[in-house]
Amino acid sequence: MDRWRAALRPALPLATNHLGGDDKVTPQLISVVTSTVAQQTARPPWWRDIRILRVVVQVAATAVIGLILYVLWFNLTNNMRRIGIELGFDFLQQPVGVSVTGSDISAGSAVWRALVVGIKNTFALVVVGLPLLTIIGVLVGVARLSTNWLVAKAATIYVETLRNIPPLLVILVAFFVGILPLPTIQDPVEIFDLAIVNNRFIAVTGFTANPGFSTFMWIMLGALVVSAIVWRWRTAVFDASGKPHHRVLWSLGVMLGLGVVGFLVIGRPFELSKPVLDGRVLTGGYSGLGGYFAMLVALVLYTASHVAEIVRGSILAVPKGQTEAANALALSGFQRLRHVTLPQAMRIALPPTINQYLNYVKNTSLGIAVGYSEVTLIAFQAVGNGRPAPQMVLILMASYLVFSLVISAVVNVLNRRLQLVTQ
Amino acid sequence: MKTTKLLAVLAALALVLAACTEAADTTTTLGDPGTTEAGAEEPTTTAGGGEEPTTTAGGQAPAGDTLAEVQSRGALNCGVNDAVPGFGFRDPDGNFVGFDIDFCKAVAAAVLGDPEAVEYVPLNAQQRFTALQSGEIDVLIRNTTWTSSRDGGEGATFAHTTFFDGQGMMVRAEDGFASIDDMANTSICSLTGTTTEQNVTDRFGDVPFELLTFEDNEVLQQAFLAGQCDGWTSDKSQLAGVRSNFPDTEGGPDALTILDETFSKEPLGPATRDGDTQWSQIIDWVVIAIIQAEEFGIESGNVDTFADTEDVNIRRFLGLEIEDDEGNVTVFESGLGLEPGWGADVIAAVGNYAEIYARNVGPDTPLGLERGPNSLWTDGGLLYAPPYR
Repeated sequence: MDRWRAALRPALPLATNHLGGDDKVTPQLISVVTSTVAQQTARPPWWRDIRILRVVVQVAATAVIGLILYVLWFNLTNNMRRIGIELGFDFLQQPVGVSVTGSDISAGSAVWRALVVGIKNTFALVVVGLPLLTIIGVLVGVARLSTNWLVAKAATIYVETLRNIPPLLVILVAFFVGILPLPTIQDPVEIFDLAIVNNRFIAVTGFTANPGFSTFMWIMLGALVVSAIVWRWRTAVFDASGKPHHRVLWSLGVMLGLGVVGFLVIGRPFELSKPVLDGRVLTGGYSGLGGYFAMLVALVLYTASHVAEIVRGSILAVPKGQTEAANALALSGFQRLRHVTLPQAMRIALPPTINQYLNYVKNTSLGIAVGYSEVTLIAFQAVGNGRPAPQMVLILMASYLVFSLVISAVVNVLNRRLQLVTQ
Repeated sequence: MKTTKLLAVLAALALVLAACTEAADTTTTLGDPGTTEAGAEEPTTTAGGGEEPTTTAGGQAPAGDTLAEVQSRGALNCGVNDAVPGFGFRDPDGNFVGFDIDFCKAVAAAVLGDPEAVEYVPLNAQQRFTALQSGEIDVLIRNTTWTSSRDGGEGATFAHTTFFDGQGMMVRAEDGFASIDDMANTSICSLTGTTTEQNVTDRFGDVPFELLTFEDNEVLQQAFLAGQCDGWTSDKSQLAGVRSNFPDTEGGPDALTILDETFSKEPLGPATRDGDTQWSQIIDWVVIAIIQAEEFGIESGNVDTFADTEDVNIRRFLGLEIEDDEGNVTVFESGLGLEPGWGADVIAAVGNYAEIYARNVGPDTPLGLERGPNSLWTDGGLLYAPPYR
């Protein structure tokens, strides 16, 4: 009897329910049911068998997707061949034919080298932009919740203005209003010899490496390790004795001390390099083109307005009891923010912020509007000069995908570290 | 004239999505949306595509008798530009005016005896060859550069060049650059994805310079105005157009100088469909006649005064009676299929090359272009008319 019941349960749940409890099964009912089951065999027909259907559906779905991809691929290659567009990626080795601003790419350089310059230029926007927009976003987000009327309103106006304008418009405004009106290169503004500002580029004092710089970098790496050990030691002291740890001061002090020692031992491994403008030729310092700063300012401000909203929402999402508890402990407003509210808000804010980071990366492709040689501009430049568009679009997609995946990976690791272990 | 990035993306998409039917749409894959629109919103082309059922698949134009077709229709369908001042443009009254337009009129005068019997079909750069291939227009006269791939791949046949253009450099007069050789380390603006970029890179060679490229002419102009770039490079005729419209608040046209040097070849001329040799030759010889007339000194104003000329070459050109040594009187017949004396009709209608040039783009017009290479060969230019005999 148990054997029948086991067979019945998956196939005829209603029947088994109808049969009720174990000991109320009448022999008559059993005989009716068992006879039908015997006729149908223990398993339903294959077109109703969930185990088969599962496999069949998955195979079919895969086949359909594969077919669609195949048709698209067939169309692409066939149409390309018919129109006479070259297949393959051999063109990457051919000369690019145009010079690229702010790089050593000239007419004879290979196409792939120009693309690498474009990717570097995109990266230059990303690596500076993401930290900047995070800082501005958090500050504005906190400011929107400020009890100071002026601060809160200013932050609101900032967010609501930028959030509701297409990024291309923000970029063009930054270019026309922020960059072009700067003095010309013939009459630049020089700030104490340390920076040169004109509407072509902005150059600031930087460093140049001397011989021995790599040795110095190894020393600094060692110093980092030592200061990390010192950090742990001070933490241990604090945990054990309750004495103030001052671990930030300690670590920085160790690092700085070792750095100074290394600097003196090697003998000037690097030195200051001031920007010098001779006619139109700039030497020394770090410099960025006008288009770069237009892009950076516009995209950072634009994306920060979105991040600010995320931060504000996340702070509001921290349970009110947390704030009340902090108040009960007589923490100051800043201490409450620093130790109670923000750490918890951050956990909520991080996942949606990744989206904004990715949007920022994708929006850098608008650099073509203001003549900033990021990867999209380089790609379209090459397409305009006879390179095959389908392959170039594929390369562009791949570049942005890599940017996005790396950023997601980094932030996701961070996210995992931040989540409460107990949850 | 130049590929835009949007087109590139659309083309890429079209390549992926276009169903692979080998028939019918071979020539229109790249320009689909454009051409359909052009057909739809252009009611002036009644005589065009509609009555051309002979248009075959694969873009191979009908090797038909375009001349007979144009004459029976009573109007010439001329593909033109409507946005380049001096070359092809609509005046405030909506009439087409310009250098290229005058050549359309010349063809109409030669073929139909009436320079006004022209249906103008405004086309953009991407539409123009499709319009030609599909038979929507009889001749394309739209500042089109003669290149080998267009002659070959686009199925067009180019006629005698009407305007020898080339890429030039425009600078601010106050900067005092006299030559591109003086412009080391300068910043040059151009449009993204154009042959212009390649030409200027080649021109500078090893001389360091910064190339700033913009997608949009308006942004480029603002950057140039603000001094972000020292030079603006494009086709010289286009630079002349920009210069002639330069705002007075910025000093007007005199604030800008177009350097003499020309560093690319852009021969602009009419194009016809492959496969109708007679028609192509007619277009060829209309252009040649206009050049020849300048060489003869025949103008629209004085063409009648040549009736008694003794010069047999001119008598042939104008279709006048010629008496040979035996006293036989004949009229020169070129065999092109046109009425004798069509040369006189053309000159009476639009004038000779010098007149067309002076009227549309010459020194007295806003464009103010010197003749330069567009002078007669006798003046050191490139205009050379094969003999009319």
